[in-house]
Amino acid sequence: MTPIKNPLLPGLLDMLVLKTLSVESLHGYGIAQHLHLLSRDVLRVEEGSLYPALQRMRQKGWIKAEWRQTANNQRARYYTLTTLGRRQLGEQEAGFAELMSAVRRVMKQA
Amino acid sequence: MREWFNRLVDVFRRRTLDRELEEELRFHARHLEREAAEAGLSREDARVQAGRSLGNVTRITEDVRARWSFAWIDHLQQDVRFAWRGLRRTPSFTVSVVVTLALGIGANTVMFGVMDRLMFRPLDYLRDPGTVHRLYLQTLERGVVNTSVWVQYERYRDFEAKTSSFAQIACVNERLMAVGRGDALREIRVAGVTASYFDFFDMAPAAGRFFGPSEDIAPSGTPVAVLAHGYWVAEYGRRDVVGETIALGNLSVTIIGVAPPGFTGLDDAQPSQIFVPLTALGPAMGGQATAGFSQGYRFLWGAAIVRRKPDVSEARATADATEAYRLSWQRQREAAPPGTPPLRSLEDAQPRVVVSALRTGNGPAPSLDARTSLWTSGVAALLLIITVANVANLLLGRTLERRQDTAVRLALGVSRRRLIAHLLTESVVLAVLGALGAVGVTYWLGSAVLGVLTTTTGSAAGLLDSRTLLVTAGLTVVVGLMTGLVPAWIASRVTVAPALRRGPREAGGSARLRMALVVMQAALSLVLIVGALLFVRSLAAVRSMPLGYEPDRIVMVNQVLRGAPMQPAALVALRQSLLEAARVHPAVEAAAWRSSTPLGTTMQLRFTADGAPPVETLGLFSGQEGTPDYFAVMGTRILRGRPFTEDDRAGAPRVAVVSESTARVLWPGQEAIGKCLRFGPPPAECTSVIGIAEDIVANSLTETERYQVYFPIEQTSPQGGSGMFLRVRGDAAAQAAVLRQALQPLMPGTSYLTVQPMSSLLVRPQRSWRLGATMFGAFGMLALVVAAIGLYGVISYGVAQRRREMGVRIALGAGRGDIVWLVTRQGLAVAIAGVMLGVCLALVFSGQVQPLLFSQSAKDPGVYATAGGVLVLVAVVATLLPAARASRANPTEALRGE
Repeated sequence: MTPIKNPLLPGLLDMLVLKTLSVESLHGYGIAQHLHLLSRDVLRVEEGSLYPALQRMRQKGWIKAEWRQTANNQRARYYTLTTLGRRQLGEQEAGFAELMSAVRRVMKQA
Repeated sequence: MREWFNRLVDVFRRRTLDRELEEELRFHARHLEREAAEAGLSREDARVQAGRSLGNVTRITEDVRARWSFAWIDHLQQDVRFAWRGLRRTPSFTVSVVVTLALGIGANTVMFGVMDRLMFRPLDYLRDPGTVHRLYLQTLERGVVNTSVWVQYERYRDFEAKTSSFAQIACVNERLMAVGRGDALREIRVAGVTASYFDFFDMAPAAGRFFGPSEDIAPSGTPVAVLAHGYWVAEYGRRDVVGETIALGNLSVTIIGVAPPGFTGLDDAQPSQIFVPLTALGPAMGGQATAGFSQGYRFLWGAAIVRRKPDVSEARATADATEAYRLSWQRQREAAPPGTPPLRSLEDAQPRVVVSALRTGNGPAPSLDARTSLWTSGVAALLLIITVANVANLLLGRTLERRQDTAVRLALGVSRRRLIAHLLTESVVLAVLGALGAVGVTYWLGSAVLGVLTTTTGSAAGLLDSRTLLVTAGLTVVVGLMTGLVPAWIASRVTVAPALRRGPREAGGSARLRMALVVMQAALSLVLIVGALLFVRSLAAVRSMPLGYEPDRIVMVNQVLRGAPMQPAALVALRQSLLEAARVHPAVEAAAWRSSTPLGTTMQLRFTADGAPPVETLGLFSGQEGTPDYFAVMGTRILRGRPFTEDDRAGAPRVAVVSESTARVLWPGQEAIGKCLRFGPPPAECTSVIGIAEDIVANSLTETERYQVYFPIEQTSPQGGSGMFLRVRGDAAAQAAVLRQALQPLMPGTSYLTVQPMSSLLVRPQRSWRLGATMFGAFGMLALVVAAIGLYGVISYGVAQRRREMGVRIALGAGRGDIVWLVTRQGLAVAIAGVMLGVCLALVFSGQVQPLLFSQSAKDPGVYATAGGVLVLVAVVATLLPAARASRANPTEALRGE
């Protein structure tokens, strides 16, 4: 199955990234891989939207960035979820759930 | 909030963040490559696949970088750097514009500073300046309204008692007084103020306290003093002086406090250094009239300052004060001592009060200074218009030159908005540079103007305070926008294809516009030059006006007596010793004792003349008393009859010498010598006229009546007189100090002499013409420079445009001279058009300038011709350089070009 490049809304992308980082700290490539894997190839996030999003979230204070050594002793920038980010994740998750149930209610009508 | 703060911080970490991003993306790309390789692709293919997956790195980088830079900051930086480079590449253009802006903005800033100080600036610490006013007293004198700010102490008390519109009222008298003793003696400015004056201000003393009403009780007050801050720092080095005493005139006053910095009394152009209670000022001055200053209506003693109650309008306050004045006038009439002529009736004099601005420059009778300054402000505004026109013209020329450039940039995709923003940036950069230059011009021009206007030699930095700098900034912004908008708009209308095709050739319309602008500048410059010449000639006329005496050869010696009043015999003996000592001094030709001072303190006479109409109907008669040498010392000629001699002493028949105008007005067509003047109530002795002297300037430089009467001092005030006039060999100014040293030892006790050249009396009266000449002269030159720059710019541009045409002409055999003439002709045409327009403008305003001039017609054809000539000359010079360049155009190059 060819991976569909679904356009991801920025809000949605933020939530997914925050969720990813809530498990463990990752670098940019790692986040992209994680999303790709877990969504079984459906969500192919473009690097063009990932990195701007990461910077935005960093400036908002939801994540913080630091340079560390990878397992292969290479330098990479790792992002970690902050307390503020965790709170934000909770809010966005709740909001998304509400959205989904609303959509489902509408679709059930047909 | 947090996000914007972080974004702002990141702006400064841009470079670091850029590097980190680059590294991060490379890391990502490497891993994508490895991923592709593991999927089985070859090395090369893997890299390509990775690249494709990653996407457009440039786009990514740009998108991310948008997070840590505000687009407009980047654009602004770019624009400024680009504009700066462009300006540096065309130095003559840049210098022209910056100089023009500096002159225009600087001149206006200076005029704002001057007008502010003369008319508007509120005094430091003054609470609620809008409610504080000065009382201007007006009376009708022979059909003319006479305005004065002086009130007697008694009159001030009347105002205090009889008005209801004022929450506060105070009286201030500022004058020069001698402070200190012996060698430390100096004349400084002292203010006698009522205790209520301090209540007008929101200030706490820097040390000690201010005096209160209990220390300001008539007739003599309490001898206490408050020092001005500057004086305290300079004389006492900030040490504790409360309780120390100072010798002030005839009094020893105790210092009770120091005022905060910036408190200068009422006149901040001539700040007072010591403040004493008004009632103590009289005793400090000493002399016979000590008690009289604070009593009765004899002496005009100060200026009345009031604070309106908040619910009272100025009109109501004026009416209230007028009513109080009338009551006071009536009271004065009734209180007149018997034997003296009474005050005129209410119907005759119609006294009224105007409650107006604190600064006299903004009051009902502004001085000549204030009016001249107002005119000069108009002139400066004119200069600003010229400046704006000039700079707009220059910028327009530059825009037209770069039309091809602009077309290329538009073709490459620059949005018109960015184009306009860039052009505006250039104007703003020029304006900022101009503003910096303007600060320099303000400093230089400001010191010249302040030097004319004030007696204090404060640094010209005084003109560069926050208010004036704010005005500079404001003007810069306005000028920058105004001059930048037109070229920017024109540039934005460039259509790409025609501009690229045609190359930099000019459209007819804008050429005419630019020429019109230059003609306007030339016209305005002419107006300014005419003004300058008119004032310079007025000043010259004032300086060379025959006064009837020779101030350059006369030294005034005034005696100031301190300590216990001297016996009449002692006074006479002192006078004799001073006169003798002066006469034997090698520098002195002649010496005379006298009582009045021309252009200083003069005596007003009331008398009757036999066979003449009542003198009150004829005008003001000034009196002077002197020893027999008086006329010789002054250099005043006796036209008929004789001057006084030693024989005209006490007991001998009373005599007087009158001025020619006096004789003419009292006894027209008859011989005045032998006629009688009678002083005092009838039957009064006959004072016979024995001589006719030439008219002198006694009261003001512009007076038309020269009615003077001279008496031998032995007959009228044998123990009186204020000092000597000495006629010296050589220059009076140089001899003054020498004479003081020679004569001072003769003074008893702590009494002393002030010695000054008589020419110092002329400085203040001549000031308004000096001001006009300085300001118009300076601005006229500035305007000329600006107009010349403008003309040069336009002609050069025209020459550059017509290069091909010049080349063709030269190829066809035109000589150098012909080409030069061709170009110069344009400059001449502009100049002549400007002159004609300027002459019309100047004539329109001539009627209003006339009152400010002195024996100089505002329509003088000689002046106009000179101004026109100067303008034409400057225009020719401005066109010479481009003309020379045009004549040197290489025909083959010109024809080949483009």
